[in-house]
Amino acid sequence: MSDTTAHDEYARGGASELKTVAVILTFLAVLPFAFDMTVTYLANLLVRLLVFASLALALNIVFGHTNQLFLFVGALAGMGAYSTALLSDTVGVSPWLFYPAAGIVAGFIGLLVSYVAARRRMTVIVIAILTLSIQMALSEIFVGARDLTGGSTGTSFSGLELPMVVEALGVSGRLVTYYLLFVFLSVVLVGYWWMRNSKYGLAFTAIRQDEIASEAAGINVIRYKVVAGVVAATIIGLVGPLYAQSEGYLLPTMFSFQSVDVIVLIMLVLGGMRTIVGPFLGAGVIIVINELLQDTGQWRTAVLGGLLIVLFVYFREGIVPKTRAAWDSDRVQSLRSRDSDTDSDPET
Amino acid sequence: MAISTLLEITIDGFARGMLYALLGAGITLVFGLGSVLNLALGVFAVIAVIAGVVVLPTVAHPLLAALVGVAGVGVLSVVVDRTLLTSVYRSTGEERVTLGIFTTLGLEILLSGILYVYYPQTYAIPFDGNLINVAGIRIRSSSLFIIAVAGVLLLGLFLFLRRTYLGKATRTVFQDETGALLCGINPRKIRTLIFVLSAVLAAVAGILWSIQSTLSVSSAFEITIFGIIVSIVGGVRDIRGTVVAGILLGFVVTYANYYIGTYFSSVILFSVAVAVLIARPEEIS
Repeated sequence: MSDTTAHDEYARGGASELKTVAVILTFLAVLPFAFDMTVTYLANLLVRLLVFASLALALNIVFGHTNQLFLFVGALAGMGAYSTALLSDTVGVSPWLFYPAAGIVAGFIGLLVSYVAARRRMTVIVIAILTLSIQMALSEIFVGARDLTGGSTGTSFSGLELPMVVEALGVSGRLVTYYLLFVFLSVVLVGYWWMRNSKYGLAFTAIRQDEIASEAAGINVIRYKVVAGVVAATIIGLVGPLYAQSEGYLLPTMFSFQSVDVIVLIMLVLGGMRTIVGPFLGAGVIIVINELLQDTGQWRTAVLGGLLIVLFVYFREGIVPKTRAAWDSDRVQSLRSRDSDTDSDPET
Repeated sequence: MAISTLLEITIDGFARGMLYALLGAGITLVFGLGSVLNLALGVFAVIAVIAGVVVLPTVAHPLLAALVGVAGVGVLSVVVDRTLLTSVYRSTGEERVTLGIFTTLGLEILLSGILYVYYPQTYAIPFDGNLINVAGIRIRSSSLFIIAVAGVLLLGLFLFLRRTYLGKATRTVFQDETGALLCGINPRKIRTLIFVLSAVLAAVAGILWSIQSTLSVSSAFEITIFGIIVSIVGGVRDIRGTVVAGILLGFVVTYANYYIGTYFSSVILFSVAVAVLIARPEEIS
């Protein structure tokens, strides 16, 4: 939560960040070739990686950059998924037609929350409790409105697929879902890169460092916070239906606080807030850890809880900033030893 | 509907409200005193019940078992305070708030994870309850027991904060930490005391809860959320407000449960919380 990392990133400039974006996207594009995607288990794992990386990226925008702690990521994704599913079901058309509704509904909730929060000058804890209460209320509705959602037993969901592609290329439906998520994530990631290097990135940093000072400097604090809230909520809402498609099911527990928000938070903090690679690295590490713990069975939850404590007490900066700091200091040292005969050391 | 039924529901609602008040007080004490939102409060309640059930065959009486459960949670809370909260209190301001949220959330998940492995069923402290007939109104004796025990505890808490030296010192830390330090009060010690007190309140609430309905590990987080809602509706830094809010919400939930249905009563509860947060966010921050 130190601000030196954000500052460093500005110094590095957008060009090297774009390289990072390209590397991540290339890696994700070829990742399925390294695995046997006909194995359902492996394919599901890769799809889940993209789902959770997108959610962590969205939380990075709203929490990392503008300090609005959204603890209703699961509920937003659920609202997105249920909107698409229920609308297309009622009208009786392909879910694709109502896919944008997922983003609109979730984005509207994000707009309301961010606007009210900014207007009422809510601190991070008030936003946390507010969104957690909304999460709980929506979870109750997902389970309780049995006629609509099928209650705790859920309903099956499919239709967000491209049968022509599956047939034309002769690949599995899961691979298509993976690449759908990949395209979605590419757009989000490039958008995020652009945001960081535009006036938005600057304004976010200014607001996070000193809200009153940035207001005095002419920054419309409310507007920037609302933009971050809407963008993040829309992304989360749009992930919802794709997540449901990948599971083939719509279950209230898929969108609960414990099964989404907790995991996404751990991923973001572990990877490193306000970094580009962080959400991906965090998602990757946690999904691998989760799979390794599969053998320990019921101990998984306990380990994740312990991990959350350790992370926050000792490791709040995350993997990416920590590694960068280590790498930087090495580089500085090597530069120093090389330049010592030509340049004078600025510190001496 | 018969007036007697209404009265019966009202007494049940009052009992539930007293439970909520205990949980709300548990949240309010720790948040008001150290800006730590204890998300692990519900686990303490569940642990007290499970510990009570485990020792029940050995101690042979439910009341003794309940006391062992509460004492166990007391010891656990000292350990948590000395280890986890020490690192939280080292940071200040908004950072302490976020760190408090995440470490106690981690603790909640860690403890529930461990409990799940060993105690995956539902648990309850046995209570020889019967229906008492007063002028045609049938009252559950367990409800009366809950009202009595919670009432005595809340009154005791209130007298402690108002009348004792230690209580006054506590309120000083509530209001002004630096001022308290200058008066020779050690805020850290007061915080330990208050954290243990809040855990004990939660433990008693859990045991009282379990004499009317069973508890499982998965109820833990829900119990925490109840406490938080009561606390914010009551205004986070005021025990009196918390108690009043707890009793009111107890009535609301019980009536809504009876007239509209369980799931809708929960939605009402969370909506009240959202409304209060939007109306008076400055009270909480």
